[in-house]
Amino acid sequence: MTKSIETIWKEGFVDETQLTAPEIKDLYNRKSQNIVDKLQNMFAINIKAIILGSIVMLIMMSLIGAPFLGLYICCLLVPLVIIAKRELKKSFNLSKGQSSYDYLMSFNSWLQSSIEAYSSYYKIFYPLFFLGMAIQGIVSNAGGEFIALLLKIFPTDIIIFGQPYYLIIALVIVTLIMVKYAETLYRWDLNIVYGRQFKKLEELITDMKALKD
Amino acid sequence: MGSDFYQLYILPFAGIIIKICRAYTNNQEDFEDYYQEVCLQIWRSRDNFNQECEWSTWIYRISLNVCLTYLKRRKNGDKEIISDPLPEEAIDDSKAFVSDEINQLYSAIKHLSETDRAIILLYLEEKSYLEIAEIIGSNTNNIGVRIKRIKDRLNKYITQKD
Repeated sequence: MTKSIETIWKEGFVDETQLTAPEIKDLYNRKSQNIVDKLQNMFAINIKAIILGSIVMLIMMSLIGAPFLGLYICCLLVPLVIIAKRELKKSFNLSKGQSSYDYLMSFNSWLQSSIEAYSSYYKIFYPLFFLGMAIQGIVSNAGGEFIALLLKIFPTDIIIFGQPYYLIIALVIVTLIMVKYAETLYRWDLNIVYGRQFKKLEELITDMKALKD
Repeated sequence: MGSDFYQLYILPFAGIIIKICRAYTNNQEDFEDYYQEVCLQIWRSRDNFNQECEWSTWIYRISLNVCLTYLKRRKNGDKEIISDPLPEEAIDDSKAFVSDEINQLYSAIKHLSETDRAIILLYLEEKSYLEIAEIIGSNTNNIGVRIKRIKDRLNKYITQKD
Protein backbone atom coordinates (compact mmCIF):
# COMPACT_ATOMS: atom_id res chain seq x y z
CA MET A 1 0.00 0.00 0.00
CA THR A 2 1.57 3.25 -1.14
CA LYS A 3 -1.06 5.74 -0.01
CA SER A 4 -0.64 7.59 3.24
CA ILE A 5 -3.13 6.91 6.01
CA GLU A 6 -4.42 10.47 5.65
CA THR A 7 -5.19 9.87 1.96
CA ILE A 8 -6.85 6.53 2.67
CA TRP A 9 -9.07 8.21 5.25
CA LYS A 10 -9.93 11.18 3.08
CA GLU A 11 -10.72 9.07 0.02
CA GLY A 12 -12.51 6.42 2.03
CA PHE A 13 -14.91 8.93 3.54
CA VAL A 14 -15.20 11.32 0.63
CA ASP A 15 -18.84 10.29 0.39
CA GLU A 16 -20.07 10.32 3.98
CA THR A 17 -23.50 9.07 2.94
CA GLN A 18 -22.01 5.57 2.92
CA LEU A 19 -21.87 5.84 6.70
CA THR A 20 -25.24 4.42 7.55
CA ALA A 21 -26.39 4.96 11.11
CA PRO A 22 -27.75 1.83 12.80
CA GLU A 23 -31.43 1.62 13.48
CA ILE A 24 -32.24 3.24 16.80
CA LYS A 25 -34.43 1.17 19.11
CA ASP A 26 -36.20 2.90 21.97
CA LEU A 27 -33.11 5.04 22.53
CA TYR A 28 -34.31 7.21 25.39
CA ASN A 29 -35.46 4.30 27.51
CA ARG A 30 -32.33 2.31 26.88
CA LYS A 31 -30.43 0.91 29.85
CA SER A 32 -26.99 2.48 29.91
CA GLN A 33 -23.84 0.36 29.73
CA ASN A 34 -21.58 3.18 30.84
CA ILE A 35 -19.55 2.38 33.95
CA VAL A 36 -20.56 5.60 35.76
CA ASP A 37 -24.24 4.97 35.07
CA LYS A 38 -23.87 1.35 36.13
CA LEU A 39 -22.31 2.36 39.44
CA GLN A 40 -24.99 5.00 39.93
CA ASN A 41 -27.61 2.30 39.43
CA MET A 42 -25.77 0.06 41.87
CA PHE A 43 -25.78 2.79 44.54
CA ALA A 44 -29.46 3.53 43.94
CA ILE A 45 -30.32 -0.18 44.24
CA ASN A 46 -28.12 -0.44 47.36
CA ILE A 47 -30.10 2.33 49.04
CA LYS A 48 -33.40 0.56 48.37
CA ALA A 49 -31.97 -2.84 49.37
CA ILE A 50 -30.56 -1.51 52.65
CA ILE A 51 -33.84 0.18 53.59
CA LEU A 52 -35.82 -2.95 52.71
CA GLY A 53 -33.25 -5.17 54.48
CA SER A 54 -33.46 -3.05 57.63
CA ILE A 55 -37.24 -3.36 57.77
CA VAL A 56 -37.11 -7.12 57.16
CA MET A 57 -34.39 -7.49 59.77
CA LEU A 58 -36.39 -5.51 62.33
CA ILE A 59 -39.51 -7.63 61.73
CA MET A 60 -37.60 -10.93 61.76
CA MET A 61 -35.65 -10.11 64.89
CA SER A 62 -38.83 -9.00 66.64
CA LEU A 63 -40.47 -12.29 65.67
CA ILE A 64 -37.63 -14.35 67.13
CA GLY A 65 -37.70 -12.29 70.32
CA ALA A 66 -34.73 -10.02 69.66
CA PRO A 67 -36.29 -6.66 68.75
CA PHE A 68 -33.38 -4.68 70.20
CA LEU A 69 -30.92 -6.51 67.96
CA GLY A 70 -33.19 -5.70 64.99
CA LEU A 71 -33.25 -2.05 66.00
CA TYR A 72 -29.50 -2.08 66.57
CA ILE A 73 -28.85 -3.48 63.06
CA CYS A 74 -31.20 -0.88 61.59
CA CYS A 75 -29.19 1.86 63.30
CA LEU A 76 -25.97 0.35 61.91
CA LEU A 77 -27.42 0.38 58.39
CA VAL A 78 -28.57 4.02 58.49
CA PRO A 79 -25.06 5.46 57.85
CA LEU A 80 -24.74 3.14 54.84
CA VAL A 81 -27.86 4.71 53.32
CA ILE A 82 -26.45 8.17 54.02
CA ILE A 83 -23.11 7.29 52.41
CA ALA A 84 -24.77 5.73 49.35
CA LYS A 85 -27.03 8.80 48.92
CA ARG A 86 -24.11 11.21 49.29
CA GLU A 87 -21.92 9.33 46.83
CA LEU A 88 -24.79 9.02 44.37
CA LYS A 89 -25.36 12.76 44.51
CA LYS A 90 -21.66 13.45 43.91
CA SER A 91 -21.66 11.18 40.85
CA PHE A 92 -24.18 13.36 39.03
CA ASN A 93 -21.54 16.07 38.72
CA LEU A 94 -19.50 13.87 36.38
CA SER A 95 -19.93 15.35 32.93
CA LYS A 96 -19.15 13.15 29.95
CA GLY A 97 -18.54 16.30 27.91
CA GLN A 98 -15.23 17.02 29.66
CA SER A 99 -11.91 16.22 28.05
CA SER A 100 -11.14 12.50 28.26
CA TYR A 101 -8.41 13.09 30.83
CA ASP A 102 -10.63 15.25 33.04
CA TYR A 103 -13.52 12.82 32.69
CA LEU A 104 -11.42 9.80 33.64
CA MET A 105 -9.73 11.68 36.47
CA SER A 106 -12.99 12.98 37.94
CA PHE A 107 -14.53 9.53 37.61
CA ASN A 108 -11.53 7.96 39.30
CA SER A 109 -11.52 10.56 42.05
CA TRP A 110 -15.22 9.97 42.72
CA LEU A 111 -14.66 6.22 42.68
CA GLN A 112 -11.77 6.42 45.14
CA SER A 113 -13.68 8.72 47.47
CA SER A 114 -16.68 6.36 47.39
CA ILE A 115 -14.52 3.32 48.10
CA GLU A 116 -12.81 5.24 50.91
CA ALA A 117 -16.14 6.31 52.44
CA TYR A 118 -17.57 2.80 52.30
CA SER A 119 -14.44 1.05 53.53
CA SER A 120 -14.06 3.49 56.44
CA TYR A 121 -17.58 2.73 57.54
CA TYR A 122 -17.25 -1.04 57.03
CA LYS A 123 -14.31 -0.93 59.47
CA ILE A 124 -16.87 0.08 62.09
CA PHE A 125 -19.90 -1.74 60.70
CA TYR A 126 -18.54 -5.31 60.58
CA PRO A 127 -17.12 -5.37 64.14
CA LEU A 128 -20.24 -3.70 65.59
CA PHE A 129 -22.48 -6.07 63.66
CA PHE A 130 -20.49 -9.03 64.95
CA LEU A 131 -20.57 -7.73 68.53
CA GLY A 132 -24.34 -7.19 68.35
CA MET A 133 -24.91 -10.73 67.10
CA ALA A 134 -22.46 -12.18 69.66
CA ILE A 135 -24.05 -10.35 72.60
CA GLN A 136 -27.51 -11.43 71.47
CA GLY A 137 -26.19 -14.99 71.27
CA ILE A 138 -24.69 -14.82 74.76
CA VAL A 139 -27.85 -13.48 76.40
CA SER A 140 -30.12 -15.95 74.63
CA ASN A 141 -31.18 -19.24 76.28
CA ALA A 142 -29.14 -21.31 73.85
CA GLY A 143 -26.14 -19.04 74.47
CA GLY A 144 -26.54 -19.45 78.24
CA GLU A 145 -26.55 -23.24 77.88
CA PHE A 146 -23.49 -23.10 75.66
CA ILE A 147 -21.57 -20.94 78.16
CA ALA A 148 -22.58 -23.28 81.01
CA LEU A 149 -21.18 -26.17 78.96
CA LEU A 150 -17.99 -24.21 78.34
CA LEU A 151 -17.56 -23.56 82.04
CA LYS A 152 -18.05 -27.22 82.74
CA ILE A 153 -15.29 -28.19 80.29
CA PHE A 154 -12.99 -25.22 81.02
CA PRO A 155 -13.79 -24.09 84.56
CA THR A 156 -12.46 -20.70 85.64
CA ASP A 157 -12.84 -18.21 88.50
CA ILE A 158 -12.02 -15.24 86.31
CA ILE A 159 -15.35 -13.80 85.25
CA ILE A 160 -15.64 -10.55 83.29
CA PHE A 161 -19.09 -8.98 82.71
CA GLY A 162 -20.56 -12.22 83.99
CA GLN A 163 -18.77 -14.29 81.33
CA PRO A 164 -15.70 -16.54 81.44
CA TYR A 165 -12.57 -14.49 80.60
CA TYR A 166 -11.63 -16.66 77.59
CA LEU A 167 -14.96 -15.97 75.94
CA ILE A 168 -14.38 -12.22 76.29
CA ILE A 169 -10.83 -12.61 74.96
CA ALA A 170 -12.15 -14.58 71.99
CA LEU A 171 -14.74 -11.87 71.29
CA VAL A 172 -12.12 -9.13 71.52
CA ILE A 173 -9.76 -11.02 69.18
CA VAL A 174 -12.47 -11.64 66.55
CA THR A 175 -13.58 -7.99 66.79
CA LEU A 176 -10.00 -6.76 66.33
CA ILE A 177 -9.53 -9.07 63.35
CA MET A 178 -12.69 -7.61 61.84
CA VAL A 179 -11.48 -4.05 62.42
CA LYS A 180 -8.18 -4.93 60.75
CA TYR A 181 -9.55 -6.83 57.78
CA ALA A 182 -12.94 -5.18 57.12
CA GLU A 183 -11.47 -2.78 54.57
CA THR A 184 -9.45 -5.53 52.88
CA LEU A 185 -12.55 -7.68 52.73
CA TYR A 186 -14.61 -4.88 51.18
CA ARG A 187 -11.93 -4.04 48.59
CA TRP A 188 -11.46 -7.72 47.79
CA ASP A 189 -15.21 -8.09 47.27
CA LEU A 190 -15.27 -5.01 45.05
CA ASN A 191 -12.31 -6.28 43.06
CA ILE A 192 -14.04 -9.55 42.32
CA VAL A 193 -16.86 -7.63 40.62
CA TYR A 194 -15.08 -4.62 39.17
CA GLY A 195 -11.38 -5.56 39.30
CA ARG A 196 -10.87 -5.68 35.55
CA GLN A 197 -12.64 -2.36 35.00
CA PHE A 198 -10.56 -0.70 37.70
CA LYS A 199 -7.35 -2.06 36.19
CA LYS A 200 -8.39 -0.84 32.76
CA LEU A 201 -9.25 2.56 34.18
CA GLU A 202 -5.85 2.73 35.86
CA GLU A 203 -4.11 1.90 32.57
CA LEU A 204 -6.09 4.54 30.70
CA ILE A 205 -5.27 7.17 33.30
CA THR A 206 -1.58 6.26 33.29
CA ASP A 207 -1.50 6.59 29.51
CA MET A 208 -3.39 9.90 29.58
CA LYS A 209 -1.12 11.25 32.34
CA ALA A 210 1.92 10.43 30.24
CA LEU A 211 0.41 12.55 27.47
CA LYS A 212 -0.43 15.37 29.83
CA ASP A 213 2.97 15.69 31.51
CA MET B 1 -38.97 15.40 22.18
CA GLY B 2 -36.55 12.44 22.15
CA SER B 3 -36.98 11.54 18.50
CA ASP B 4 -36.72 15.19 17.40
CA PHE B 5 -33.49 15.58 19.32
CA TYR B 6 -31.99 12.57 17.59
CA GLN B 7 -33.05 13.75 14.14
CA LEU B 8 -31.95 17.34 14.68
CA TYR B 9 -28.86 17.15 16.83
CA ILE B 10 -27.41 13.67 16.53
CA LEU B 11 -28.18 12.25 13.11
CA PRO B 12 -26.41 15.06 11.18
CA PHE B 13 -23.26 14.11 13.12
CA ALA B 14 -23.76 10.35 12.92
CA GLY B 15 -20.62 10.05 10.76
CA ILE B 16 -18.43 11.13 13.69
CA ILE B 17 -20.06 8.62 16.03
CA ILE B 18 -19.87 5.79 13.50
CA LYS B 19 -16.18 6.38 12.79
CA ILE B 20 -15.33 6.41 16.51
CA CYS B 21 -17.51 3.47 17.52
CA ARG B 22 -16.07 1.34 14.70
CA ALA B 23 -12.60 1.80 16.15
CA TYR B 24 -13.67 0.45 19.55
CA THR B 25 -15.75 -2.51 18.45
CA ASN B 26 -15.08 -5.70 16.59
CA ASN B 27 -18.47 -6.77 15.32
CA GLN B 28 -21.75 -5.31 14.14
CA GLU B 29 -23.65 -6.13 17.34
CA ASP B 30 -21.12 -4.34 19.56
CA PHE B 31 -20.94 -1.46 17.13
CA GLU B 32 -24.71 -0.93 17.29
CA ASP B 33 -24.64 -1.10 21.09
CA TYR B 34 -21.85 1.47 21.30
CA TYR B 35 -23.58 3.72 18.78
CA GLN B 36 -26.82 3.68 20.75
CA GLU B 37 -24.99 4.26 24.03
CA VAL B 38 -23.20 7.30 22.59
CA CYS B 39 -26.52 8.69 21.30
CA LEU B 40 -28.12 8.08 24.67
CA GLN B 41 -25.30 9.86 26.50
CA ILE B 42 -25.37 12.82 24.10
CA TRP B 43 -29.07 13.16 24.80
CA ARG B 44 -28.58 12.83 28.56
CA SER B 45 -25.71 15.34 28.56
CA ARG B 46 -27.48 17.92 26.41
CA ASP B 47 -28.07 20.30 29.34
CA ASN B 48 -24.36 20.32 30.16
CA PHE B 49 -23.47 21.68 26.71
CA ASN B 50 -22.40 25.25 27.45
CA GLN B 51 -21.46 26.38 23.94
CA GLU B 52 -17.83 26.90 24.93
CA CYS B 53 -17.03 24.51 22.13
CA GLU B 54 -18.77 23.55 18.91
CA TRP B 55 -21.51 20.93 19.01
CA SER B 56 -19.40 18.63 16.82
CA THR B 57 -16.50 18.87 19.32
CA TRP B 58 -18.94 18.02 22.10
CA ILE B 59 -19.99 14.96 20.14
CA TYR B 60 -16.36 13.90 19.70
CA ARG B 61 -15.79 14.25 23.45
CA ILE B 62 -18.84 12.29 24.50
CA SER B 63 -18.28 9.61 21.87
CA LEU B 64 -14.72 9.02 22.99
CA ASN B 65 -15.50 9.16 26.71
CA VAL B 66 -18.37 6.73 26.30
CA CYS B 67 -16.29 4.32 24.21
CA LEU B 68 -13.48 4.45 26.77
CA THR B 69 -15.76 3.56 29.67
CA TYR B 70 -18.31 1.29 28.04
CA LEU B 71 -18.95 -1.93 29.91
CA LYS B 72 -18.98 -4.64 27.35
CA ARG B 73 -21.00 -7.73 28.16
CA ARG B 74 -18.98 -10.82 27.48
CA LYS B 75 -20.57 -13.53 25.44
CA ASN B 76 -19.36 -16.38 27.64
CA GLY B 77 -20.46 -15.09 30.99
CA ASP B 78 -22.22 -12.39 32.89
CA LYS B 79 -19.15 -10.39 33.89
CA GLU B 80 -18.81 -7.04 32.22
CA ILE B 81 -15.60 -5.39 31.17
CA ILE B 82 -14.55 -1.99 29.94
CA SER B 83 -13.72 -2.24 26.25
CA ASP B 84 -10.66 -4.46 25.99
CA PRO B 85 -7.79 -4.49 23.54
CA LEU B 86 -9.09 -6.54 20.66
CA PRO B 87 -7.36 -9.83 19.94
CA GLU B 88 -6.44 -10.39 16.28
CA GLU B 89 -8.90 -13.22 15.80
CA ALA B 90 -11.74 -11.15 17.25
CA ILE B 91 -11.55 -8.42 14.61
CA ASP B 92 -14.12 -9.76 12.22
CA ASP B 93 -15.85 -6.68 10.83
CA SER B 94 -13.32 -6.19 8.06
CA LYS B 95 -16.18 -5.46 5.65
CA ALA B 96 -17.68 -2.68 7.74
CA PHE B 97 -16.98 -0.04 5.07
CA VAL B 98 -17.17 -0.07 1.29
CA SER B 99 -13.50 0.78 0.86
CA ASP B 100 -11.09 -2.11 1.46
CA GLU B 101 -8.36 0.35 2.29
CA ILE B 102 -10.43 1.91 5.04
CA ASN B 103 -11.23 -1.54 6.41
CA GLN B 104 -7.53 -2.33 6.45
CA LEU B 105 -6.73 0.96 8.15
CA TYR B 106 -9.38 0.28 10.81
CA SER B 107 -7.97 -3.16 11.34
CA ALA B 108 -4.60 -1.52 12.07
CA ILE B 109 -6.15 1.16 14.32
CA LYS B 110 -7.79 -1.54 16.42
CA HIS B 111 -4.37 -2.85 17.36
CA LEU B 112 -3.51 0.42 19.06
CA SER B 113 -4.15 1.27 22.71
CA GLU B 114 -7.49 2.91 23.51
CA THR B 115 -5.88 6.33 23.95
CA ASP B 116 -3.91 6.05 20.72
CA ARG B 117 -7.07 5.09 18.86
CA ALA B 118 -8.75 8.26 20.10
CA ILE B 119 -5.78 10.42 19.09
CA ILE B 120 -5.38 9.02 15.59
CA LEU B 121 -9.12 9.23 14.88
CA LEU B 122 -9.11 12.92 15.78
CA TYR B 123 -5.97 13.46 13.71
CA LEU B 124 -7.50 11.75 10.68
CA GLU B 125 -10.59 13.89 11.15
CA GLU B 126 -8.26 16.84 10.59
CA LYS B 127 -8.47 18.21 14.08
CA SER B 128 -5.53 20.47 14.93
CA TYR B 129 -3.04 19.39 17.61
CA LEU B 130 -4.57 22.02 19.87
CA GLU B 131 -8.09 20.65 19.35
CA ILE B 132 -6.89 17.08 19.91
CA ALA B 133 -5.12 18.17 23.08
CA GLU B 134 -8.30 19.86 24.28
CA ILE B 135 -10.54 16.89 23.52
CA ILE B 136 -8.16 14.34 25.04
CA GLY B 137 -7.02 16.70 27.79
CA SER B 138 -3.31 16.61 27.13
CA ASN B 139 -0.26 18.60 26.17
CA THR B 140 -0.04 19.79 22.52
CA ASN B 141 3.66 18.90 22.13
CA ASN B 142 3.11 15.39 23.39
CA ILE B 143 0.23 14.94 20.96
CA GLY B 144 2.53 15.73 18.05
CA VAL B 145 5.13 13.23 19.21
CA ARG B 146 2.51 10.58 19.89
CA ILE B 147 0.86 11.01 16.46
CA LYS B 148 4.19 10.47 14.74
CA ARG B 149 4.70 7.27 16.72
CA ILE B 150 1.17 6.04 16.01
CA LYS B 151 1.52 6.73 12.28
CA ASP B 152 4.76 4.75 12.19
CA ARG B 153 3.05 1.84 13.88
CA LEU B 154 0.06 1.97 11.54
CA ASN B 155 2.24 2.16 8.45
CA LYS B 156 4.33 -0.75 9.68
CA TYR B 157 1.21 -2.81 10.36
CA ILE B 158 -0.34 -2.00 6.97
CA THR B 159 2.90 -2.72 5.11
CA GLN B 160 3.24 -6.09 6.83
CA LYS B 161 -0.32 -6.98 5.88
CA ASP B 162 0.20 -6.06 2.19
